[in-house]
Amino acid sequence: MKQGSVYLQDISRGIVKENPVFRLLLGMCPVLGVTAYLINGIGMGLAATVVLIASNVVIASLKDYIPTRVRIPCFIVVIATFVTIIEMMLKAYQPVLYEALGVFVPLIVVNCIILARAESFASKKPVLRSFFDGLGIGLGFTIALALLSLVREVFGQGTLFGPDPDKIIYVFGLNFEAMGLFAQPAGAFIALGLLLALTNVIFKKFKID
Amino acid sequence: MRDLIRLAITLATVATVSALLLTGVYVLTDPVISEREEREYSEALEEYFPGFAEFVSEQINSRKYNIIYDSAGDIMGVMATIKQQGYDGYITYNLAIDADAHILGVSVVSHSETPGLGDVITTDAFKKQFYGKGFYDPLDIGVDVNVVSGATISTSSMIISIRNVLAEVGETYLGLETQEFDLSKIADGLYRGSTDGTYGIMTVEVEVASGHIKRIEVIDHHETVAYFVEAYPLIPEKIISEQKIEVDTKTGATLSSERIVNAVRIALLQGLVDTDRSD
Repeated sequence: MKQGSVYLQDISRGIVKENPVFRLLLGMCPVLGVTAYLINGIGMGLAATVVLIASNVVIASLKDYIPTRVRIPCFIVVIATFVTIIEMMLKAYQPVLYEALGVFVPLIVVNCIILARAESFASKKPVLRSFFDGLGIGLGFTIALALLSLVREVFGQGTLFGPDPDKIIYVFGLNFEAMGLFAQPAGAFIALGLLLALTNVIFKKFKID
Repeated sequence: MRDLIRLAITLATVATVSALLLTGVYVLTDPVISEREEREYSEALEEYFPGFAEFVSEQINSRKYNIIYDSAGDIMGVMATIKQQGYDGYITYNLAIDADAHILGVSVVSHSETPGLGDVITTDAFKKQFYGKGFYDPLDIGVDVNVVSGATISTSSMIISIRNVLAEVGETYLGLETQEFDLSKIADGLYRGSTDGTYGIMTVEVEVASGHIKRIEVIDHHETVAYFVEAYPLIPEKIISEQKIEVDTKTGATLSSERIVNAVRIALLQGLVDTDRSD
């Protein structure tokens, strides 16, 4: 197998076959919590992606120096460091997004996707492959969040790119009576269920697994 | 033993490097964050109090008041920053009040109310009903301000809080007095007052004799009984023993308590009007 195709596989596996939200059903807490607006969903996905890539790279390069018995605390410290950096950066340069994501930013630390990739991939594989694995899983997570928040914002609020009044677009005009249910956490479950069903149908049809 | 030391050293190294990294990022971002927050706040001040010279911060309990002065040293108004209980967690908002105790603006700084329901408190439609309202306006639910159905707790919590803050600011900094509670000016007699509740109108009967509130009775209400018993007869007893309306309404049934106080206020106002007429 050629070198390049291994990396491509690492990326595409994270997006399609092992999509953390649609296939593995991991990290559901932020998935349901921040997807009321498309911008928030994408922001959360990108923040998690950055942490995922950074922690994967660092853990893959440190794996020979960290004794097995203390690997989990070391992984958590590495992840927590990157999450805190992201949090401070967001607060300084993206205050609106920081406010919107709220408690879910610090909670990236305990996002099981990130620890799962550190444990099952980065601690066993070379640095470069871990980088692409982080990128793939992160993009998969971001795409899933974007899809879910797109559905929820369009139906739940009748808008796009909200809640920032400068960018907001009223998809169905100003008088549209939105389906408030989709803006609620319960609506997030329903929308997620529908999207899961849809992806299952698509996967079956194209025999991807 | 050697193994243990190695484990400890590994952990310590990882933690130290991470702490150093975080310190670096903190040093870089902290000035940016505090500068932005300061700039946003003074922009907000400039919007409501154009040309203000300086402000003095004061704290009453958990409520922060910035008293705004112009270059001549006169009070231009007060910017209040209030953190109060909403439906789900705390709502923090800024309230701009001019020197005549009229509301210039309301802006919700942060909240965690239910998306799609309780977050109407951030909409212009809800906030605008306060603009221009003053110290002597009742700011009473169903009278001159309205709650939003589906978000009763969030919106009534904002209304009650804004009313209390306006009263406190008016009395403390702007030298206004609530005359309506001067009991000696109320003629003896029986007064009835009604106020809109969540599920219907509450009516109270208040008996005033020689400038004292003698008896308060709720003669009709549609409150949830489980809550109502927390407020009645506790609140009437408090009002009678303290002989004033501004009693602490933080009970197990704050909304019912507020409603009783409102109804008593409305009842007593009639007494005040009556004496004015007879003069």
